[in-house]
Amino acid sequence: MSRPPLRLTVNGAPHELPDVPGEERLLDTLRWRLGMKGTKEGCRTGDCGACTVLIDRTSVLACLTLAHEVEGGSVTTIESAGEPTLERARAAFQAAGALQCGYCTPGFVVALAGLLAERGASVTEEELLDGLQGNLCRCTGYAAIVRAVRGAREGAP
Amino acid sequence: MPRARAPAAAVAPFELLAPATPDEAIAALRTGPPGATAVLAGGTDLLLDIDAGRTDPTRVVSLRRLPWRTLAWSDGALTIGSTLPLRAVEDDPALRGRLPGLWEAVHAVGSVALRHRATLGGNLGRSAPASDLVPMLLALDAEVDLVGPGGARTVPLDRFVRASRATDLRAHELIRGVRLPESRPSAYRWQRVRPANDISQVAVAAAWSPQARRWAIAVGGVPPRPVRLPEVEAALGTGPPSAAALAAAADLLVRRLPIATDRRASEEYRRHLAGTLFERAVRAAEAAPGGPA
Amino acid sequence: MSSVVRPDGAEKLAGRAVYGTDLDVPGMRWAALVPAPVAHGRIRRLDLAGARALPGVVAIGPKELAELLPGAAGDPERPLFPPDEIAYLYQPLAAVAAPTLAAARAAVGRVHIEVEPLAVVADLESVFPEWPGSEAGGSPHVAAHVRARHGPVDAAFAAADRVVRETYRTGSIHQVALEPHACLAEWQDGTFRVRTSTQSPFGVREDAASILGVPESSIVVEGTWVGGGFGGKGASLLEPYAMALAVAARAPVRLALSYAEEFRLGRTTLPSVVRFETAVTDGRIAARRVQLLLDVGNSLPGRDFATGYAIGFLLGPYRTPAFEIEGYAVRTNKPPFGPHRAPFAPQCAFMVESHLGEVARQIGVDPEEFRAAHLWRSGDTTPLGQPVGAFGLGAALDAARATARRWRAEAPPGRGIGVGVGFWSTSTGAGAEVRLRLAPEGLTVVQGEREIGSGSVLVGVRAVAARATGLPPGRIGIEYADTARAPYDSGVFGSRTTAAMGRAVLEAWAALRTTLAERLRLPPDTLLALAEDGPAIVVEGGGRRAPVASVLTAEERGAGGLETKGRHFGSGGAIDPQRVLDGSFYPYTDFTGAAHVADVSVDRATGAVRVERYAAFHDLGTTIDAASARAQVEGGIAMGLGTALTEEALWDDSARLENPGLLDYRIPTLGEVPPIEVTLLPGHPGAGPFGAKGIGEPPIIPVPAAVAAAVADATGAHVTELPLTAERVARALKLL
Repeated sequence: MSRPPLRLTVNGAPHELPDVPGEERLLDTLRWRLGMKGTKEGCRTGDCGACTVLIDRTSVLACLTLAHEVEGGSVTTIESAGEPTLERARAAFQAAGALQCGYCTPGFVVALAGLLAERGASVTEEELLDGLQGNLCRCTGYAAIVRAVRGAREGAP
Repeated sequence: MPRARAPAAAVAPFELLAPATPDEAIAALRTGPPGATAVLAGGTDLLLDIDAGRTDPTRVVSLRRLPWRTLAWSDGALTIGSTLPLRAVEDDPALRGRLPGLWEAVHAVGSVALRHRATLGGNLGRSAPASDLVPMLLALDAEVDLVGPGGARTVPLDRFVRASRATDLRAHELIRGVRLPESRPSAYRWQRVRPANDISQVAVAAAWSPQARRWAIAVGGVPPRPVRLPEVEAALGTGPPSAAALAAAADLLVRRLPIATDRRASEEYRRHLAGTLFERAVRAAEAAPGGPA
Repeated sequence: MSSVVRPDGAEKLAGRAVYGTDLDVPGMRWAALVPAPVAHGRIRRLDLAGARALPGVVAIGPKELAELLPGAAGDPERPLFPPDEIAYLYQPLAAVAAPTLAAARAAVGRVHIEVEPLAVVADLESVFPEWPGSEAGGSPHVAAHVRARHGPVDAAFAAADRVVRETYRTGSIHQVALEPHACLAEWQDGTFRVRTSTQSPFGVREDAASILGVPESSIVVEGTWVGGGFGGKGASLLEPYAMALAVAARAPVRLALSYAEEFRLGRTTLPSVVRFETAVTDGRIAARRVQLLLDVGNSLPGRDFATGYAIGFLLGPYRTPAFEIEGYAVRTNKPPFGPHRAPFAPQCAFMVESHLGEVARQIGVDPEEFRAAHLWRSGDTTPLGQPVGAFGLGAALDAARATARRWRAEAPPGRGIGVGVGFWSTSTGAGAEVRLRLAPEGLTVVQGEREIGSGSVLVGVRAVAARATGLPPGRIGIEYADTARAPYDSGVFGSRTTAAMGRAVLEAWAALRTTLAERLRLPPDTLLALAEDGPAIVVEGGGRRAPVASVLTAEERGAGGLETKGRHFGSGGAIDPQRVLDGSFYPYTDFTGAAHVADVSVDRATGAVRVERYAAFHDLGTTIDAASARAQVEGGIAMGLGTALTEEALWDDSARLENPGLLDYRIPTLGEVPPIEVTLLPGHPGAGPFGAKGIGEPPIIPVPAAVAAAVADATGAHVTELPLTAERVARALKLL
């Protein structure tokens, strides 16, 4: 059964992907079809947040999102460059040393970027921390991540 | 250079349709293979069920193009479209003031990223015993708007929800939205292992109807489905209950609740929790804006 | 003060770091394991024909493996596929590879298995509902029996003022690294090339060679970035399957576990039941008896590491004039017991600390004072006769008690403050080798470990080299090389990496200094250092200063630099054989201690515990890198909070894991970890470079003990089971 190609923009680059089956997950489209491994596969049950990406600047779990549900949409992953809230989040994590193994890190950075974009300049630290509870980390104990969030918020333009 | 295939997909193939109108959607359900056609709202439940092999559809009908991502207030009554992501419900500027318990229940679901996709319709259709939304909606006397081959109808939520994955949905019917008749001071109190990113072991929803001057109490996390407790509501009386009345009502709730033991928590403990959460929910609802206190 | 910025940060934050799950090469096949349908049974039929009939599928079981790799039957105790008896649910009976994961899973579904079910042993208490008598040692259900004794135990009990008896239970926990196990294996011209997410590339090589019956020289292992190990990636789990499939498929084979498989197949801490008896006379411990029943899953007799290792932790870091300890490793139909972070030590510390706290309460002595009175000091020996060495737990406990006093004075009513201590034996002795390569513009440490995340290699080893040589860390490279090219290292485990590898660096530097002195015509023991001079490196000392370029030979310059080697193998003091009555005890080596303080609030109506703040005092010897040490303490404490409060893997009567997923197996989320004050205490040097001690595991150990002590302080509730679920606390509070 032929279907029209799936059109989506990933980190600003347009893609037309032919023959993407209905059951394909956005996570697999990104990692295996487009070869973009920055978004991580963790639990694959929506509980860990490692696969967080932005769709139209809103965070979603790519493991539980069908690729075709994003038709015409704009996806932002950790591999993006130049998107202001994402760069702010990334810089804050680097400055705070808020990573160890780094596997949860793309999900956290993207989730934080999504919250900063969604909530804007008046967002409180508490709202940001509350909004990140869907991202699990096993290495840092979250302490350095909390410091990074503080730094990202203070770095607001 | 993109690959021709994404070899990581591990589930059986299905045809994915995205109809543009409710009629098209109903037609897609009717013409789909019987017993192997599923509805996709946010997908956060359906896709998990597919991955776990609990369901195996060969046709999936996505509702993403339907005009049901709506939320509208009318004189304190609220109508929410079934495909509106929960985050949008949570972020409605008027919700927390008018229906604080609903805000609490929605905020308790999963995580932010999950709530950007999960929908009210999906949650009701899935009808999980541990749903955080069903008990609160029961206590708000929610009605469910349905549309199907036979036309549109409205069903009280209490009749709609039957058991896990079992609802009053007729063949090829879709949930179009949920209607809440009035704003109510309300509260949702739950007990979980973790405070976030978890499901509730036991939960109590309490709401006070300003119009009818009576309490509405529902308990969740109690198989087979969340329940309203009319006896307990009556025991609370028509205003803020006295300490004695509240304790007596809690005692009644603890004794009457249909609860069983499971590996996570014993029946004894759940009853005890239900009583504690009940008292807290009632007092919190009392103290909410517009409350009887 | 060290920088918190991580040298691997940029790559990981850009999404460019390649982990095991990211491995992807052209022509790669996807593998899947064929799971046993019962926890115990005899395999009557295993038919792979249906699987093979699918296009592009290769399938191997015991028969095919023997044909492909005849030596694979070499270690009958560790067959890749069980030839006739299933030992645990989901145990791999065969493996398939296919062009896609869907095809591999479909192939798994086509494998025909017939099994004669046998009785399942799901729970150690079903084997020993009562404490075993002396005949139990010979039972097929027992993988190991250990017993040790010292001093006038019976007399001390008979004469005691008071004897306190308690039984404790702890549950099963899982490492929960966010990245599941994953690897890629290729086979070409008789050589295996294995890329894998592992804590020990050399360990994988050794294990895989043994399991497949091939020479180690035929295997090259390259570690990828690792998305968390915590002990679960210390030994080979998936690689031999992928390697065998690579031979069968004549193509690269990727094998990764789903997260449910991570839980079901993971080797980790399993349940225990421990009985304590403590005799007290004149307010002091006179004698102790401890009996341990430890579920070791499918561990084979003689292969159990846990029991002889764990049991010493059940006496705690305390002077004990007389004791008798006994442990049984009980076999059940679960995967074998495997190492978690500080394996079983947090559970032991919880039990010992809670028990001694109860003893103190019963005799009317302050629990913290009671501990302090018995605590090991530098120069003590352990109950099994090993020297403790320089040991700073006394200082840590003093500091913890001071904090506890302050917090008690400040805390709002209803809060509880508790102190817990623990000790650890770091495996600094496990061998390490490195090469140092000095080039005109930098120094490189060539070594065989992939940084797994803690910073022990990239930050710690680099910091040792910087301190030894005088160069700033930015001029020191850490070069990771695979097992064919790198010097040997035992693995990133046991809190040993910076210490052991650091000692090897010091030795390599000593050799380098000697060579440089010679070339500069200086006495061989001249104190030389390296320094920056713009882009170049210079050697300084003995009144001389020369660019490195000028002391290298042309050959060395061509080869990338002057290389020296260093190695470190250590050992601890021996266990006193007189004290051992049966079995073998795992000797402890380098000791370190920690004292923690927890401040909790307890919901008096539901029993729910919330940790409000936390302080940790660690006997670290010399701090090599403060930022990464602090990060280890913060991370270990969070893990410990999970062990203390929310993590339990629940096994049912058919030895099926009920909660193999991250919704139902709950690790702490961001909102549950309180502010943590970290204090790293110098003064009691360890076996690491400059007197350092390992820090990877100690932080998790005292956590459940401190939390339980705080809960007891807040409410009087004395819980004798881990985790401290709300229901258990509620019961201890007599709410039900």
